Amino acid sequence: MTWGDLSHNTLVVAVGVAAVGFASGVVGSLCVLRKRALAGDAAAHATLVGVAGAFLVTGRRDLVTLLVGAVVAACAGLGVLVLVRRLTRTRDDAATAIVIGVSFGAGIALISGLPAWGYPGSAGLEQFLLGHTAALTRHDAMLLAMIAVGAIAVVAAILKEATLVAFDESFASATGWPVWVIDAIVVGLVAVMVVVGLPAVGAVLVTALVVIPPVAARLWTDRVGTLVVVSGVIGLVAAVSGVAVSASQSRLATGPLVVLTASMLFAVSLVIGPRRGVVARRLAGLQRSDRRGLVDEPGGHDA
Amino acid sequence: MTEPRAGAPCVELHDVTVAYGRRPVVWNVDLTIDSACLFGIIGPNGAGKSTLVKAALGLVPLVGGEVTFFGRPLSQVRSRVGYVPQRESVDWDFPVNVTDVVLMGTYGRLGWFRRPGDRERRLARECLDRVGLADVATRQIGKLSGGQQQRVFLARALAQQADVYFLDEPMAGVDVRSQERIFRVLDELKAEGRLVVVVHHDLRTAAEWFDRVALVDRRLVASGSTAETLTPDNLRQTYAGHIDVLDDVGRAIAARERTP
Repeated sequence: MTWGDLSHNTLVVAVGVAAVGFASGVVGSLCVLRKRALAGDAAAHATLVGVAGAFLVTGRRDLVTLLVGAVVAACAGLGVLVLVRRLTRTRDDAATAIVIGVSFGAGIALISGLPAWGYPGSAGLEQFLLGHTAALTRHDAMLLAMIAVGAIAVVAAILKEATLVAFDESFASATGWPVWVIDAIVVGLVAVMVVVGLPAVGAVLVTALVVIPPVAARLWTDRVGTLVVVSGVIGLVAAVSGVAVSASQSRLATGPLVVLTASMLFAVSLVIGPRRGVVARRLAGLQRSDRRGLVDEPGGHDA
Repeated sequence: MTEPRAGAPCVELHDVTVAYGRRPVVWNVDLTIDSACLFGIIGPNGAGKSTLVKAALGLVPLVGGEVTFFGRPLSQVRSRVGYVPQRESVDWDFPVNVTDVVLMGTYGRLGWFRRPGDRERRLARECLDRVGLADVATRQIGKLSGGQQQRVFLARALAQQADVYFLDEPMAGVDVRSQERIFRVLDELKAEGRLVVVVHHDLRTAAEWFDRVALVDRRLVASGSTAETLTPDNLRQTYAGHIDVLDDVGRAIAARERTP
């Protein structure tokens, strides 16, 4: 297929995927600034159980049914994560690894068990593992785009509050902000974006679309507002180009292509990003030798 | 910023006990501060000074006891209470500039969804001027020295326009010039009729800076005017096992008495 052959349907799907990519970058910014990247990964891996579970319970496999199952599972995964951390005093990283392992294992077990329960093959559910946009209908793409736009609107509304909590939780709390409410909104947005990205990128890699764009964007700017937008653009470019390549080579799963594109953009940013990219840092290093002596000791200290 | 204060600044800690898990950190602290002054909370490392302040601000839960501001619970008077956390408590790599951080001091009054406008920006500029950082207003906060970072935090607290301020180790890891600037601003706050409570661990400067102090070592050892409270006897009780610092203090107090 060449660009000339793009049907109306393909265009709509492309617009949907673009919106999802942009929203992933935008929501991902808050998630990464709050240092909650791993929570997104836990949510993403939990979605498979939800997809398989929704299919087994309802017998339907339209996108809405499956994604509702995925949202429920993602939220349940995050809930378990919080409980494990609180009740067992397991450290954050270990708790996340446990949730990822258990939920992903259960999801794969369910999907691979489908033939044994009388379903032919895995009923197409394995597409949610690595992503595959070819099966996406125009209607599905519109739905994903609408959810993505909603998520962007929520980020725009709470950017001030989320930035405050991400930067200085204790100051936020001391000045009366309900930190847990703001955190819940941010994590909830991440769960939604992970689910919305599922059809295009797949459960294994979808967090990469949430995490890589903001990390790359950080290399271009020192301001939160700009970071959110740049991150969105990187997510959009990654998602659209990944999907385009996969559409022209339909045997390739979409997810890996999207993530590889995002990684490439990250690598480029790492070299030429004006804020702490390799080149910029070299230049700053040259200037610093002139400034030495003007700045007082940063100095560490005990509590 | 100099309108008369409504009612005397007043913080009351009644029988406050704080624990992390099952391990009590501070217990049975009774402390009343009822006039505008520079108030030092002094004690050795690990004495629970910061914990006490965090408990007063509701950042760590009380196991027992009660804290009131102006006779009311904190939740009713948040906008009158300012806070400067320890500098090490945040990530200075965060993508915000100096003005962004100072504006955060206005968020409490702004409330949900409202963004800072011209009035807030003007206030932020004034606060930066006061701490001597007007010339780095647009710099990313990681590119500041430790002393400048501490002054950014102070400017953010000034933007809160509070009546009572709590500062957690504001002089730690800070160059002498910044220390002097910070101290001058704190002195101005006092002159405006505000109460400034400072967690501090350096006994020598404590004797110079504070009008009143509380000596804390997991419990309240003593409190009152600096001269009456920093006695060798009280210090020995507070710093049991840290005797080496006492000679320094003795000298500092003696020096202070010679130059009234």
